[in-house]
Amino acid sequence: MRRIFPILLFILSLSLILASLSYAQVQVRLRVFEASNVGTGIDSSLRDMRDQLKPLVDFSSYRLLKEETPTLYANRPVSFPAHPGRIIELTLIKQDKNVADVRVRIKREQMDILNTQVRLSPGRTVSIGGPKHGEGVIIITLSGQF
Amino acid sequence: MKDSCSSVSELLEKYFDQEVTDRERFLVEGHLQDCPTCRDALTSMEGLRTLIKVPVEEATQQEDFPWVWQKIEREIRLQEKVSWWQSLRSWIHLSPLLKKKTWIPAVAIIVVLLLITTQVILKKTPSYSDASVVEYIESETHNIMVYESEKAKMTVIWLFDEEDEEDQELSRS
Amino acid sequence: MDHEEIQLISRCQQGDQEALKEIFDKYHKRVYRIAYGVVRHREEALDIVQEVFVKLFRSIKNFKGRSHFYTYLYRMVMNTAIDHSRKMGKQFVSSLDEEGSFEPSEEIEKGPERILLQKELEEKVKWAMEKLPIEQKAALLFREVEGLSYQEMADAMGCSIGTVMSRLHYGRKRIQELLKDYVGPPGQSSGPSNPLKGEGVR
Repeated sequence: MRRIFPILLFILSLSLILASLSYAQVQVRLRVFEASNVGTGIDSSLRDMRDQLKPLVDFSSYRLLKEETPTLYANRPVSFPAHPGRIIELTLIKQDKNVADVRVRIKREQMDILNTQVRLSPGRTVSIGGPKHGEGVIIITLSGQF
Repeated sequence: MKDSCSSVSELLEKYFDQEVTDRERFLVEGHLQDCPTCRDALTSMEGLRTLIKVPVEEATQQEDFPWVWQKIEREIRLQEKVSWWQSLRSWIHLSPLLKKKTWIPAVAIIVVLLLITTQVILKKTPSYSDASVVEYIESETHNIMVYESEKAKMTVIWLFDEEDEEDQELSRS
Repeated sequence: MDHEEIQLISRCQQGDQEALKEIFDKYHKRVYRIAYGVVRHREEALDIVQEVFVKLFRSIKNFKGRSHFYTYLYRMVMNTAIDHSRKMGKQFVSSLDEEGSFEPSEEIEKGPERILLQKELEEKVKWAMEKLPIEQKAALLFREVEGLSYQEMADAMGCSIGTVMSRLHYGRKRIQELLKDYVGPPGQSSGPSNPLKGEGVR
């Protein structure tokens, strides 16, 4: 029993830590793609996005540039290059069950092109678009994987 | 075969591959004018090059590389996931604690604790209204439009370059 | 290496997949040419292309810029293609192969005669290339298909220029011996134009 006790104590602590950590983390799906009216190609993985965005914007070509599925932990920013010269930074602010508040910053050099906080929930996608890229625009989509 | 062929034959391949010096080129070209054997050998090398090169070139030109890049991306993603799992596995193998057979009652205790913790978490959590998705928004460089569709569960934030608006104004006037 | 390429490689070394995509766009045809030259099979060559760029993304941190990037890439392609060939059991190792024996594949039995015979010649070249030791095959592909200089080949193959010349020389000699049995003496060939004799060179 004396030998087992420290091990059990360690496992107990670990489980409590894991429980508290699992309380404040979320995996998100980040996609960066280029939309333009040059060409008619569309990556098959983007058809769902094209259909969703159609009421607002309807380009003839959608090309996936990057896809990441990072796990965000509370107050720990994660950064990615979004397209040349720009960085997108995601920070989990808080998370309750199936709702996560995520701060999204898109920066170029030292300027905030965008600073926003959005609420992600199952099935909801947040799209950020508009910055020019070549002949088209960049669109970034963010969704939570709960 | 001429006597001079023996001295030139070593240079012939270098000449064919355009790796000779000016002096060597002069020597070879002078010899070729009078030596049909060496000319045949050169022709033979040219023919061989064609036979090797042309099918490969044709195959490359006809190839449209369907989905190759997508497969590369997917493979990279998979490998990143696998390497995470492999690190965890190696940690498990190395950890002395997990080698011991005492982990059975320990796992039982963990399961019980997790069940209790989960119950507590589930009870505590209030439900959020998802009417408001964008908590706040600002930009130093662009004008912003926010569109929310409850039905499509979609929120779109669109950034307009200030110069886009100027162009629109100019074109309207 | 130009400045743009150095930037691209640096971004890729930091894990930027977009940079890898730009490298892919620039080099994938060259990689395919080498891969196809080794395996002479479309699907296998495409698999090799995929494998090379995945490997490149993992290992590009090891590229120090001491040689040209494309020679670094060519070496990777060749090693990957060789490994692939070995796995598929195509590597030339057997000394028991009967030289001169050649079994045309079934598809050669069909089609117009002239095209068939040309196809047969290409099949023969493919067969002859498979008879070569891999170093000689690599040398021939780098020189005849990619047009690399001796120095570039030495960098790509990790050997001296003298070794490159030797591999080229013996590779060419062996191929010509193997194909000489098939194509007849000048003017007496019953087949189509014989490129080895300078007839109908494309």
